[in-house]
Amino acid sequence: MKKTLIATATGLLLMQPLAHANIDISGYASVIGGRVLSGSGVEGFDLPPTFLANYPLVGVYEKDWTFKPDTRFGLQFRANLMDGLSATAQVVARGADDFDARFEWAYLSYDLNENWTLQAGKKRLPLYYYSDFFDVGYAYLWIRPPADNYTWQIFNYTGINAQFNYFVGDWDISGNIYTGREDDQENKLLSQFFGSNPIREIWKDIIGGVINLNKDWLDIRLTYMTYINERYRTVGGVVERVTWGDSLTRRGKFAGISVNMDFGDWLLLSELNRLDLDGGKFDTYMVSAGYRINAFTPYLSYADFDSENEKHSTTSLGLRWDFHSNAAFKIQYDDVKDKGVPGWEVAGDSKSISFGVDLVF
Amino acid sequence: MSYVKAMLAVLLLLSGSVVAEIAIIVHPANNASVDQSELNRLFLGRGNSFSDGSRATPLNLAEGVPAREHFDTQVLNRSSAQLKAYWSRLVFTGKGTPPAEHPNAAAMKAAVAADPSAIGYISASDVDDSIRVVATF
Repeated sequence: MKKTLIATATGLLLMQPLAHANIDISGYASVIGGRVLSGSGVEGFDLPPTFLANYPLVGVYEKDWTFKPDTRFGLQFRANLMDGLSATAQVVARGADDFDARFEWAYLSYDLNENWTLQAGKKRLPLYYYSDFFDVGYAYLWIRPPADNYTWQIFNYTGINAQFNYFVGDWDISGNIYTGREDDQENKLLSQFFGSNPIREIWKDIIGGVINLNKDWLDIRLTYMTYINERYRTVGGVVERVTWGDSLTRRGKFAGISVNMDFGDWLLLSELNRLDLDGGKFDTYMVSAGYRINAFTPYLSYADFDSENEKHSTTSLGLRWDFHSNAAFKIQYDDVKDKGVPGWEVAGDSKSISFGVDLVF
Repeated sequence: MSYVKAMLAVLLLLSGSVVAEIAIIVHPANNASVDQSELNRLFLGRGNSFSDGSRATPLNLAEGVPAREHFDTQVLNRSSAQLKAYWSRLVFTGKGTPPAEHPNAAAMKAAVAADPSAIGYISASDVDDSIRVVATF
C-alpha cells in the first residue's frame, strides 16, 4: 500500500512539467516505391542490376518492386522554453534501415540577439544545398536530391552551430558556422556497399561555414568544410587501423556553390561541389529545370560525379503534382551511367522508375 | 465529371478571392509603415522588425480562409503549396517557425489589438477601429 502510494506520488512528481513549455509536434513522410527496369549490374562484384538511389543509407532498388529505399517518416518535437531558448528533437524511421527509428537531430537553440542564434547538439552536416532537408521530400522538386552528388558516408555531426541572418540593401544574407565531429561505429555505406568488413568511420575537427544570399527570385549558396578522417576496419574480429600511405589520418576539404532561380513559372537549380581528399579530387555537379503548370511541375535533371577512378551520372525526368494542400505526388525516371574504371564501378548502368507521395504535417 | 465540377468550383473561389481586397493591419498605437517587400521579409521569416527597428510579430489567417489565399498569391506572390514547401524546409532544419495562425478575422483583430508588435491582415470589409490599416492589396 505504502509502496503504491510512494510510486503514485513519484509518478505525479514526474508528470509535473519542470518549466512551462509549448511543445510543437510536426512531421513529414515520404512513401516511395520503385524498381530497376533494366541494368547492367557489375559482374566483377557479382552485383545484379542495381540503382543506388541513396549512397549514405544504401537505398538500393533492384528488379523487384520495393518501397524501402526512399520511404521514411520523421517526427519533430520542439519545446519552446521562451526568451529565445528551445529544444528540438527529430526522430526518423527509414525503410532503408528497416524502419528502425533513430534520433537524427537533437539540439538546443538559443537566440543571442535579433541576428544570431547559437545551437548545440546533433544536427545534419550542411555540406550540400539539400543536405539539411534531404529527408523532407515535400520541400524539394524531385523524388530525391541527385544521388551522384549526395554520396558522402557521413551526414550528421555533433557539435556547435552559430547561425545568422542579416538584411543588407535588398539582399537577405544568412548562414552558419559550425564545428564538431562524427564517430560512426559501423558506417553503412563503407561496411555494406563498398566493402564487407565493418568499418568505423570518424570525421573529426570538422569546421565549416555556409553563406546564403537571397534576393527575390535569386538564391546563391556558398559552402566550405574541412575535417580529419580516421578509419578502423574489423577483420575476423580484430580491429585494425586503416592507413593512407604512411599516414594514419587524411584531411578532407569540401567546397561548393549553388545557384537557384525561381522565376515566374520556371525553376532553375544548380549545384557544383568539390571534395579534396589529401589531393584527390572528387567533383560533383547538378543542373535541374522545372516548369510550373498550376499544380503540376514537370522537371528534368542531370547530375554527375567525377574523380580519378569513380565516374557516374544520372539523367532524370519526372513530374511533381501538388494534389493536396499537405502532399505532393511524384513520379521519376532515372537513367544512370556508370563510367568508373574497372574495379571502381559503383552499381553499373541502370534505368529505373520510382513514384510516391511526400507529405508534411 | 465530378472532377471537372470541383475544378470549376475552385476556379470560382479563386476568382472570388481575387476581387475582394485585403487590409494589412497593426495595433492602433503602431505608426509603422510597410511595403510589399517588407511584408515578404516578415511573413517569410527573413526579418523580425519594422523599418523603425521595433519588433514585428507576423500573424497569419488559417489555411482555407479566402483572405489567406489572397495574401499568399497577391502579396507574397507564391502559391500555398510553394509556401508550405518553403516553411517545411525551415521548420525541419531549425531555421525558422511560420507565423502563428488565427482562424478568422475576429480572432485576428483581437490578437492585433492586443499586441503592439503584431502585424496581420483581414478582408477589407472586416476592418473596424480596433486596429489600424497600413496597406491594402
